[in-house]
Amino acid sequence: MNLLKNYRIEKRDHVSPLVLALSALVSLVAALMVTALLVTISGGDWKEAFSSLFGGAFGDKDAILETLVKSTPLILTGLAAAIAFRGKIWNIGAEGQLFAGAIGSYWAFVTFESLPTVPLLIIVFIAGCAAGGALGLLAGVLKAYFHVDEIITTVMTNYIVAYMLALILSGPWKEAGSVYRHTPALPDFVKLPIIVPGTRLNLGFILALLAAGLFYYLLKKTPLGYEIRALGSNPMASRFKGIAVSRTMITTLFISGAVAGMAGMIELFGSQYRIRMDLSTGYGFTGIIVALLGGLNPLAIIPAGIFFGGLINGSVRMQIFTKVPAALMSAVQAIILLFLLASQAIVRYRIRRVDDVD
Amino acid sequence: MLTDFLQTAIVISVLASTVRIATPLLLAALGELVTEKAGILNLGVEGTMLMGAFVSFLVANQTGSQWMGLLGAIVAGGVISLIMAFMSSTLKVDQVVTGLSINLLGSGVSLFWYRSAFPDFNLVAAELPTISVMEIIKIPLLSEIPFLGPILFSHRLLTYLAFLAVPAVWFFLYHTKYGLQIRGLGENPRAIDMKGLNVTRLQYLAAIFGGMMAALGGSFLTLGSTIRFFPEISAGRGWLAIVIVIAGNWRPARILIATLLFAFLDAFQLQVQGFGVQIPYQILLAMPYILAILVMMGGRLRSVAPRHLGIPYQRE
Repeated sequence: MNLLKNYRIEKRDHVSPLVLALSALVSLVAALMVTALLVTISGGDWKEAFSSLFGGAFGDKDAILETLVKSTPLILTGLAAAIAFRGKIWNIGAEGQLFAGAIGSYWAFVTFESLPTVPLLIIVFIAGCAAGGALGLLAGVLKAYFHVDEIITTVMTNYIVAYMLALILSGPWKEAGSVYRHTPALPDFVKLPIIVPGTRLNLGFILALLAAGLFYYLLKKTPLGYEIRALGSNPMASRFKGIAVSRTMITTLFISGAVAGMAGMIELFGSQYRIRMDLSTGYGFTGIIVALLGGLNPLAIIPAGIFFGGLINGSVRMQIFTKVPAALMSAVQAIILLFLLASQAIVRYRIRRVDDVD
Repeated sequence: MLTDFLQTAIVISVLASTVRIATPLLLAALGELVTEKAGILNLGVEGTMLMGAFVSFLVANQTGSQWMGLLGAIVAGGVISLIMAFMSSTLKVDQVVTGLSINLLGSGVSLFWYRSAFPDFNLVAAELPTISVMEIIKIPLLSEIPFLGPILFSHRLLTYLAFLAVPAVWFFLYHTKYGLQIRGLGENPRAIDMKGLNVTRLQYLAAIFGGMMAALGGSFLTLGSTIRFFPEISAGRGWLAIVIVIAGNWRPARILIATLLFAFLDAFQLQVQGFGVQIPYQILLAMPYILAILVMMGGRLRSVAPRHLGIPYQRE
């Protein structure tokens, strides 16, 4: 113990982005090791599981292109989390906002079905963003004017939206004559165009990349981006600098909800073509991990999203070939996040030798 | 005559359900209260409850013993909150993000474990694994009291435990040395540190207690309620427990009242569903979550929130 007395743990003033990226990599490796352990404990062969997982994710051209399809909603929900978290605004509601986006865009399709494809798709797109954005706006207004913590509002709206969707799918929008609770499939003319023939990769992926670029610009170069970052580093100081904190929070939550709604619209019109209860299997929550793995940087969210899209895609093959349940992925995601948080906390400190105590 | 009798029976049934439904919420909320009083905002209650529900189910299914199931839940809750305490108290990671990751962990691990522990069961409900639900313990004499007997004194062990925990936690927090220290952590951790007390150790203990209570609450969702487990069985109750702590203004007695309010709403909607009233049941099911937002809107309730809640303590 005496030996330790000469050392002190101090907070570093600055951690270089390289160190942070490195710590992200280390935590990924550590998380995969724990995952291997989990697979082994559950009676599986981790080498087989990993090889079919990564083979299914990035093994060949088809696998990679399908991974990009799976990563599309994750990049978008990642952006939703990132822009809010940058301002220390905790939008946990991307899951519900995604479903709201799907519901809103489907409503727009049903309502304006007779329009030509291009204007129809534009309306559908706007409706999806607006529906997701409306939920974000609700959380923002409740926070700004009623002091309701946005965590509570966004979590509760996730549950509320799920029940409302169940209601819609059991009645008005349910496909006639089907035993399943889902809407009829969308007609071909309204599906998002496929960009690589023979695969499912569609315009949605390009839109997600554009959104990432736009968010990067928004955060870096616009007054709103400055206000969000200021809010994140010091909300008190923001108030003194004359930033309208309420307005910034409401706008941010609206944008965050809108991009999550966009994820729902794209998932519906680009990939799944009908709304069902499992249109999203937790994309809203995975988006939070994607955002944190990407260091809340919109451009870094693209590779982070593709990585998690790969895990989801590969886990399907893993389950078929090795009998290790695909549900492993939801555990892996959480383990990655915990390791990431821990490693980034550790690199923020350093142990310094202090010879002359005080 | 008959309608009077029927009405009384319905009132008794709704109120008895209220007490039963309150059990997991109350256990989790009291645990969260102690954790938050120690300055740690544990948003991982949902995931901890879910783990408690799953582990108690798994252990009870494998061993055939409900007691082992309860023990399993307590251990699981302790382990999970150890992660929470390590991240927030030792590493001083942002508590909001840590809590969220605990939720994802509970959700992911329970799902994966369930699927790999019971791989051969297909989706036919009759073939799913089951446990036996805990017996109802009728308190002698007291359960004979008309009206009150069936409402208050014909419940399962965990229900009695949850309601007895209200005065116990109150007494602990306000009338014991350790309670005082824990409250001090949430208000002024520096003073606790200056006194030579170990801030980290106390925060660990509070978080572990909170996790064990949340997991016990979760175990009631399986051991006390249903013979089967299904993924996400906690269905937001952990989040409701957090809302209840806020709505209860961080005071045990008010937390009890807030819990009963949520539980009553749930019991009421169950009864309404049973009558086949023409309200879609999905809207009824969504009511507690809507109520949670409305409750939070009801004014600035945060007046007595621990001042240092959610802020990691750093020595200068």
